[in-house]
Parts: sequence; structure tokens; C-alpha cells
Amino acid sequence: MRTLLLGMGNPILSDDAVGVRLAGDLARALPAVPGLDVVEECSVGGLNLLEVLEGYEQLIVLDAVKTEGGLPGDWYRFTLDTLQGTLHLTNIHDVNFATALELGQRLGMLLPHRSNVHVFAVEAEDVVTFSEHMTPALEHVYPELAAAILPQVQALVASCPASQAASEAITAS
Amino acid sequence: MPRTITIDPITRLEGHGKIQIFLHDDGSVKDCFFQIPELRGFERFVVGRPIEELPRIVTRICGVCPASHHMASAKAVDGCFGNQVAPVAHKLRDMYYHAHYIHSHIAHFYALAAPDFVMGPDADPTVRNILGVVAKVGLDIGGKVIRARALAQKIQQTLGGRTTHLVWCMPGGVSKGLTPEELEEIKPMVAELAGFATFSLQLFRDVVLGNPGYVDLILHGPYTLDVHNMGLVDDNNAPNFYHGKVRVVDFQGREICKYEAHEYNKFVAEHVEPWSYLKFPYLKQRGWKGFKEGIDSSLYHATPLSRLNVADRMATPRAQEAFEEMYSTLGGHPCKALLAAHWARLVEMVQNAEMLERYCADPEITSDQYRVIPDRVTGEGFGIVEAMRGTLTHHYTCDENGICTSANLIVGTTNNNAPIQMVTKKVAQALIKPGKEPDKGILNMVEMAFRAFDPCYSCATHYLPGQMPLTIQIYKGGQLWREIRR
Repeated sequence: MRTLLLGMGNPILSDDAVGVRLAGDLARALPAVPGLDVVEECSVGGLNLLEVLEGYEQLIVLDAVKTEGGLPGDWYRFTLDTLQGTLHLTNIHDVNFATALELGQRLGMLLPHRSNVHVFAVEAEDVVTFSEHMTPALEHVYPELAAAILPQVQALVASCPASQAASEAITAS
Repeated sequence: MPRTITIDPITRLEGHGKIQIFLHDDGSVKDCFFQIPELRGFERFVVGRPIEELPRIVTRICGVCPASHHMASAKAVDGCFGNQVAPVAHKLRDMYYHAHYIHSHIAHFYALAAPDFVMGPDADPTVRNILGVVAKVGLDIGGKVIRARALAQKIQQTLGGRTTHLVWCMPGGVSKGLTPEELEEIKPMVAELAGFATFSLQLFRDVVLGNPGYVDLILHGPYTLDVHNMGLVDDNNAPNFYHGKVRVVDFQGREICKYEAHEYNKFVAEHVEPWSYLKFPYLKQRGWKGFKEGIDSSLYHATPLSRLNVADRMATPRAQEAFEEMYSTLGGHPCKALLAAHWARLVEMVQNAEMLERYCADPEITSDQYRVIPDRVTGEGFGIVEAMRGTLTHHYTCDENGICTSANLIVGTTNNNAPIQMVTKKVAQALIKPGKEPDKGILNMVEMAFRAFDPCYSCATHYLPGQMPLTIQIYKGGQLWREIRR
């Protein structure tokens, strides 16, 4: 089973960079694992994302999110199945992620099943200001959240037979 | 008591836009505002940085058309170094850009425009999408679409090393050329894309032109505006997406002006409204005259349709045939029917494919002289390209050390800000009448208005769940009394 670890976001848009930064840090924490590829920076959606995902059976997405009442650094984990209830099927600019995935599957492309799409979304404070730095609020809690997310990503990677051995090596270290 | 209808996309992560419709007491539409976010200080962000870094930074403005920003920025940076550019580099950039256009136009036509026509504007939203299209027209066509996009993507990757965040264009040229081996790899892909462009035109004929109701909607629906047209043209007044002069032609076909990139601020100015962060460009020499249609209007649109409206001809033969067929069907050149932009995209795609064929046959394209090292800093540069979504202008200045001292950007969609406002209002007026309550149908009919412009308000362009759901809120006496949500 091939797994793609995907950091989504814009590295120069304040807290929007958190997924990109996590992907980079986790990639360094995870040694080369057979069957695991890492794309540290991805800012595309819809059909473009379909092209990125082809050939993978498991997807781990690291991304920023902004929800009402959320505090910077709060993070959530869900699969695409969980998201289904909130999805709509049209968009002004591209199809949404779930639609793209379903289209690809109907067309016979090798893509992760929606239950194998794992999203880690980190609450952001500012995702509209161009800056190379995250906000102090998110920066302050970043080490803690990265440390909390790492073992969960590690476990997901370990669930892939192709990467089992390498994951054991991580645990040992 | 007047009522307010708000159409509000609620889930975009980086900024959002909303449509507010204000009603008279009798229920008719009084006014309509489409409010969207601005670029949020990007021009300030780049000041103080080495100017040659800008083409690599600006791709992060937008993940939807990053190559457009990369190209416009590269040209502006070339200007800051005296425009010393290897000739083959211009060809390679243009070649890349044609592949980028195809990749983008395919997504827009098949994923965004086709659902309205294949499934129908009134179809249930749960089937009015690309899945519905594929279910109706066949999985094989869906497969062709995905394959064509992949080919266009592969060509870009081969030429520029990567696709979304290019680091390819440099002052004086590009960082890598095209090897003869890579060219041979690209040639069959280009041939396939040329076939796909022809196929897409035929599909449009069969599905859209074959349905008199759709033709009527395009030509006689509320989707027309008496505003002028803008687009980049070559010396023969044929569309050129990477190079040329900006030509503005009125909606009756008369040229209003034609200018070089460095003259842009003599011809275009930006109006500010207190209710929107986004500016409203207009023809400077006519002055701001408000959101007014008419031959004296100072407003223009910059879209695939306007690009063809300002052109006397296409640059390639098969595109020329498609151009003639389009305008003959639409009743003449230019055309004011905004939904014809979807057809214009396909005509452009034919030219894109033919230009790729032309470059594949160009003996110079594999030259290894793809960059010259600039030997002087001249301090100011202008770059204009046609982004898929409108004319894109970058203007930079730098000091003698090549450090950026100012940057000004007029992005593609900004050009269309006023026309989008106006057509949205027109559609709302056509659909919301006294005694007739707006229903879910208004969502798509309004969306169709601005979808024709393929607007892009993104700075980073990723969002979960990944779409722009719309909500209409209707207020009575200051209280929310009805909500329509898709």
C-alpha cells in the first residue's frame, strides 16, 4: 500500500503554513519508509489534487482550518467519510475534493478510498495576511501539537504493510 | 420594510465573498453587491526583497493560475534588468503557457461550465456537477478529460520542472531548456491534445448548440452586458497570451485604445468603493462613470470572450475556423453574450494546441542558449500576460542593487469586478420579481453569471471541504425570516 503525506497550505500566508511546516517536520521525523511519499507543500485542490493522489491507497493530509470558536493550535482528525455531511457538489472554481476523488474512482484511477483519507486540521488564527511567520499564538503551541500529531501519523504509516518495517524502526529509535 | 438577501459562501478558509441583494418594499431588486477579499498587501510583502526572487514568490499569490503570475512577474523582472532575454526563452515560456492554458481550460469547461449545459441550469445540484456530466456523456469521455489534463500537466512539468509553484523563469530566460529527447517525448502528447481540443469543440456543438434552449439562454438570457472588451494581441491583432499589446475594443467593434505594458497606467485606473476591498478598474481616459453600461461606459471585461472580441483573427488556422463558426452562430463579432465565454475557451484551446504543435516543429526550441546573464540593472519593469481569467499586469521598481522598491499588480479577475457586479444584479433583477419568492434556482442562475468570468479570488486556494456553498438569507424588517441553502 502506498501512502502520501501531504502538507497543504501557503507557506507565506501566516498560519496557513502550518500544514506545510508539519509535513516538513514529520517528514524529517519519519525515516525513509517504503511506500511512503511526502509532498511538503501543496496548495491545489479539486482535479489538480486528483493528479497528485493517483497511485496512492492512503492519504494523510495536514492542513490549517478556521472554525467558529476554535483556538489557535486546536487540532482535529477526521476521515473523508466524516466530512461527507458537509460536502456540496459544486464550486465556483473547481470541483471539491470529494467529488474529484469520486470521479477518479469511477474512472478507474487508483486512488485512496475515502475511509483511507485522514485529515489533520490545525486551528489557525490568521490565514489572510502574507507573512513568512505564523502568528505568535500558533507558534507558541506548535511544538506541542506537532508532538501530538506525530505518533498518530506514525501509526497510520505503520498500518501500511509496505512501510511496516520502517515504522518499527521509528518506534525503536 | 426593504428586505436584504445575502448569498454568502461560508467555508472558504482564506477570505470569502458574498452577494447581497437589496429589495424594494414591493419585492423587486433595488441593488446588488458582490463583495470579495483583496490581495491583502502582497505588494507590500515583496518590497525589500531581491527583485529576481519575485517570480518565485508571486506563484504563492494564487494556486489557481500560478503560472500566469510567474510569467508576468518574469517579464517585469526582465524589464528591471534591461530586457536582456534569450529569444528561445520567450518561446519556451510561451510553450509552457499554452500547456497551462489547456490544463486550466479543460477544468473550467468540463467541471464548471459543462454541468450547466449537459445537466441543465435547473438540474438538481446533486447531479449538476462533473459526476453527473460523466454519468450522462459516458465514462470514456471522463477518462479523456482526465488524460488530457494529465498530458498538459506533463508537458508543463517537462518544460518547467514543476507545475504549481514554478521556479523556472529567471532574469534573462529560464533555468532549463528543452532537450531533443524531451521534445520527442512531448510531441505525441501535443498531438493528442490537439485532437482533444477538436473533440471538445464537437462536444460543445452536440450538447449546447444542439439544444435551442441553451442557445437562447446564451444569446437572450440576462447574461449580456454593454461593456467593452480587453485582451492581449499580437501584431496581427490575433490573441496572444504571453506577449503583445493590450487592445480595448468597444462592444460595437471599434478600437478604443491599444497600449504597451509600460503604458498601462495611462490607460487603466482603479476606482475604490467603500463597500468592497477589491478595486474596480476602468478606462482612465474616459474617467470613472459608475456601474453604467453603454457605448460611453468606461468599463470593460477581460475574459476569454473579450480576448476573442478584441481580436481580428486567431493566430492559427484551425482556431480561425472555430472563431468564424462561433461568431457566425452568435450573430457577429464582437459578441456581448457573456456565457459565450465558455465557447471562447474552447476556441482558445484549439489555438493553444496548434501553437504547441508549432513550437514542436521549431528547430530553435531545443537550443541550449536559453538564458543570458543580464549585465545591468535598469530599475523598472512591466509584465503583462493574459491570465486565463483576464489581463494580468505586474509592475515593479528596484534600486541599483536590484532590491524591490515597489510593486503594483492588477490581477485578472479584478478587471472583471465591475462587470461581475453588474451582471449579478441583472440576473437577480430577472429572477426576483414582486410576488415571486426566490428559490434554490436563483443560486445557480446567479452563480452562472459570475462563473462565466471564471473568477478567482484566491490567495492560496485550498479549502475544506473544498467548495463554495452558497446561502441566501432573506431579511424582513431586520430579522432573518428565510434561508435558502445548497
